[in-house]
Amino acid sequence: MSQKSLHLRLGTVVVLCALFLVFYAIPSFVFAPSNVGNIVLSPLFWPFVLAGLAGLVGAGLLASGVSSDDTPFEDADTGPSDGPAGWLRLLGLATIMVLVMVALPRLGMVWTSMLAFVACAFLFRTRHPMIAVICAIVVPLLLYAFFAHVAGVAIPQGHFVRLP
Amino acid sequence: MSLLDSLAAGFALVGNVEAFFMLFCGLIVGVVGGAIPGLSATMAVALTLPFTFAMTPINGILLLLGVYKGGIFGGSIPAILIKTPGTPASSATILDGHPLAERGEAGRALGMALYASCTADAVSNLALILFAGWLASFALNFGPPEFFALILFSLTIIAGVSGESLLRGALSALAGLLLATVGLDLIYGTNRFTFGDPNMMGGLNFIAVLIGLFAIPEIIAMAWNPVAHLGKTRALGKSRCSLADYLGSFKSIIRGSMIGVFLGSIPGIGAAPSAFLSYSEARRTSKNKANFGKGEIEGVAASEAGNNGVAGATLIPLLALGVPGDVITAIIIGAFMVHGLQPGPMMFVLNADIIYGLFIGLIVSSVFLLLVGSIAIRGFRFVADVPKRILMPGVLVLCIYGVFAVNNNIFDVGVMFVMGWLGYVMMRNRIPAAPFLIAFILGPLLEDNFRQSMLMSGSDPLILFRGPITWTFWTLTAITVVAITRSTLRQKVPLS
Amino acid sequence: MKLRTFGSVFALGCGLAAGAAMAEYPERPINMIIPYGAGGATDISARTIAEPLGEAVGSPLVMANVTGAGGATGSVAVQNANADGYTMLFARVGSHSVNPAMKATLPYTLDDFRFVTVYEINPVACAVRPDSGIESMEDLIAQVGEGGVSYSSSGVGSLLHLAGAMVLKEFGIENPLTEATHIPQQGGGAAATAVLNGTATFLCTNSSALASFVANDQLTPLMVTTEEPVVGFDAPTANDLGKPVLNQLVGWTGIAGPDDLPDDVAAKWGDWMATATADEDFRSSMEERGSVIDLMDPEEANAFILEQYTTFRDLVDELGMRIEG
Repeated sequence: MSQKSLHLRLGTVVVLCALFLVFYAIPSFVFAPSNVGNIVLSPLFWPFVLAGLAGLVGAGLLASGVSSDDTPFEDADTGPSDGPAGWLRLLGLATIMVLVMVALPRLGMVWTSMLAFVACAFLFRTRHPMIAVICAIVVPLLLYAFFAHVAGVAIPQGHFVRLP
Repeated sequence: MSLLDSLAAGFALVGNVEAFFMLFCGLIVGVVGGAIPGLSATMAVALTLPFTFAMTPINGILLLLGVYKGGIFGGSIPAILIKTPGTPASSATILDGHPLAERGEAGRALGMALYASCTADAVSNLALILFAGWLASFALNFGPPEFFALILFSLTIIAGVSGESLLRGALSALAGLLLATVGLDLIYGTNRFTFGDPNMMGGLNFIAVLIGLFAIPEIIAMAWNPVAHLGKTRALGKSRCSLADYLGSFKSIIRGSMIGVFLGSIPGIGAAPSAFLSYSEARRTSKNKANFGKGEIEGVAASEAGNNGVAGATLIPLLALGVPGDVITAIIIGAFMVHGLQPGPMMFVLNADIIYGLFIGLIVSSVFLLLVGSIAIRGFRFVADVPKRILMPGVLVLCIYGVFAVNNNIFDVGVMFVMGWLGYVMMRNRIPAAPFLIAFILGPLLEDNFRQSMLMSGSDPLILFRGPITWTFWTLTAITVVAITRSTLRQKVPLS
Repeated sequence: MKLRTFGSVFALGCGLAAGAAMAEYPERPINMIIPYGAGGATDISARTIAEPLGEAVGSPLVMANVTGAGGATGSVAVQNANADGYTMLFARVGSHSVNPAMKATLPYTLDDFRFVTVYEINPVACAVRPDSGIESMEDLIAQVGEGGVSYSSSGVGSLLHLAGAMVLKEFGIENPLTEATHIPQQGGGAAATAVLNGTATFLCTNSSALASFVANDQLTPLMVTTEEPVVGFDAPTANDLGKPVLNQLVGWTGIAGPDDLPDDVAAKWGDWMATATADEDFRSSMEERGSVIDLMDPEEANAFILEQYTTFRDLVDELGMRIEG
């Protein structure tokens, strides 16, 4: 990846985002009362200013992208050695996060975190599977004990197994 | 009552083992609380508050102050070791602290964080004791127009933390400003980008954004390439902060302390912007400018001095005006009120013994912090030795618990995950995260103070130039912008 | 092996949960949601009653601050919770009478909650800076006529916002929205600071929030809205000034559950609150902070809140203050 390609790519995305904000997102999702006295006081004013600035930065990125040379970054990330498996692992982690959100209110935080810990440790292909499993059980329990009983936080318990 | 009498009365109040014991306990609770991401100094103080109800006022308040000061330092421990700021104020510490830890110099970074914190703490306490009245009346001159000018100036920090490209830094800042508009509008109470979800109406939780932006991308990067870290030294090792390190950064530490004192005495800014401002000033004036962000010890010193310098100074508006400067002092003011004390100018007359007792306690607290901090660094040493592929899932679980605990809301955990992916995309595209964070903190302040000024003046923009304070900040802003432009051009790197 | 152990733990837990459902309420800690931040009036009030209340309940109360959107985020959390009495809310004047009266887009209404009690009333006081030249409500009203008067609040839809408008209206200002400027701030502390540093002319808020400023002569009280004078406030009452309607303008804290809360749970709360509010320590520490302890049973509480809500809503409709969108 070079500065040229990066800035051209970022610039395009940012300009498109700015256009999207100005023409769709801000008019539909920012509400202003009808009796606003002055334009600068309107809730719409600041988002429009920001969208405009985003447009400018996008244009700046495009301009610098066009003018800069095509030498790759010295410390560019060359990616994992095992090719497409990296993308699969990213997908796996995203799935874990979605499942955590689904499971949190239903299973409770302790059991969910245990499962998430094990899943992540194996996703990262840990060299110490036994330690990982032990940690997966101990760490959430310790955190639960601390947050629920020392800090007095109402850690979500879920519908099934309630801890004391 | 003369100063000596007041001092004697103060000594009589704190001159018992119990008061110092409370202060010590407070510091321990604070350092541990601050070191747990999501628990943060604020939560630690809030959790300690009920325990103070049954104590004498001075013991209770010293306990809370101990927690506060300990918490602000404690936050730097996870910031350095696992790139997760324990408390928002320590996010600037990540910039150089974590790269140092990655190089196997965690011990040096932690040591410097501690020494800088203690020095700044002492400076801040001295400022409180000597200049409280003067600084407080100065702070009362800050209305919305002055705030607007100050915050506009603070936004120039972004240039200092943008790293290799100013344009990408600006992009990051804009993303932060835009995300900060989510929630209810301040002036009219209408919805902005809430999509009808009551959880969004309060805006995105700051700590969820913060942890999502810094800690989660590390975990995602681990999934992308689980073996990238192999072969690097990570152990805490024998590296220590030497006297030469300390003296080399001494100027930055003192400057950071001053910035902290100044921003701390003005209600409503808080410790995180102070740390960033101190950091960017240190970088601007340093000989090793290029090394900042890659593990420069002076960067750690400047950030930690910046945030701890605030800790004593926020007590200035609290004691002299009865005005809380941030969330933490709002809780501490609650403790005063529970004991029937009413902070304000009269308290210096009516309860001078308590005020001077607090001053004595504060001076001692800097020394205690040094002690507790050294023990804590030794205690947390093991974290650097944990295999990274076991540590990362642990960090994930810790973040889930911590972010939930901030506002008892599962939604915030989701915000953290989403911000984590955004942070990862930014990381892959070489977009720095720090400008995003600064903009996210300062953006709402900028907008709110601008609109409040407009309300005050009936939409007359001239109010933004009222008085010498606004002029000072406008001038400073102009000078900084010119300086940034010139140095960018001189490097012959055309705005990039 | 691992799966089997997990399975048996799971089954055991299910059995426990099933058995426990028969037991008497409360058989586990009750979650008490505070919809405002730590250190605020609601938070301090809630944490002060937590101790005697926990004793009366006989099982610990877990206090949880869920802040955001002027109390709406926490309120919605309780609105959507199971009506089993294990998730209860500290309702406050802002979240449960001003907000519903002012915000058309609020995600809940009063009907979504069942109030089990209101236990605390906070008088409201209006105050200005001593060097503002304003010494009475008359002076203030005269100044509004000249223009340039503003009042600060802790945000749109807060008690302070409505109070400023309502007080001016009662004292004969035809349209307080255009004749005076409302300058919202982030939170109650900032609202008082705004008056201190001259950003706004006056504010009307809970007397407890003003007590220290008044005691330190940093702010001058102009009036209090209660029938009885408030200790430490050298100012006339609303009744002295001939405006008894303003008696409606008081802060309160109560406890509510979701609307389908069972009757036996509500009845239990009535008993517990009677025990808790009789506690001497609780009374004295609350009264020291300027609150009036006034325990209401569920019917009284509902009637009280509804009356205040109706007064506020009529005012909002009359002035066109409702927030749409």
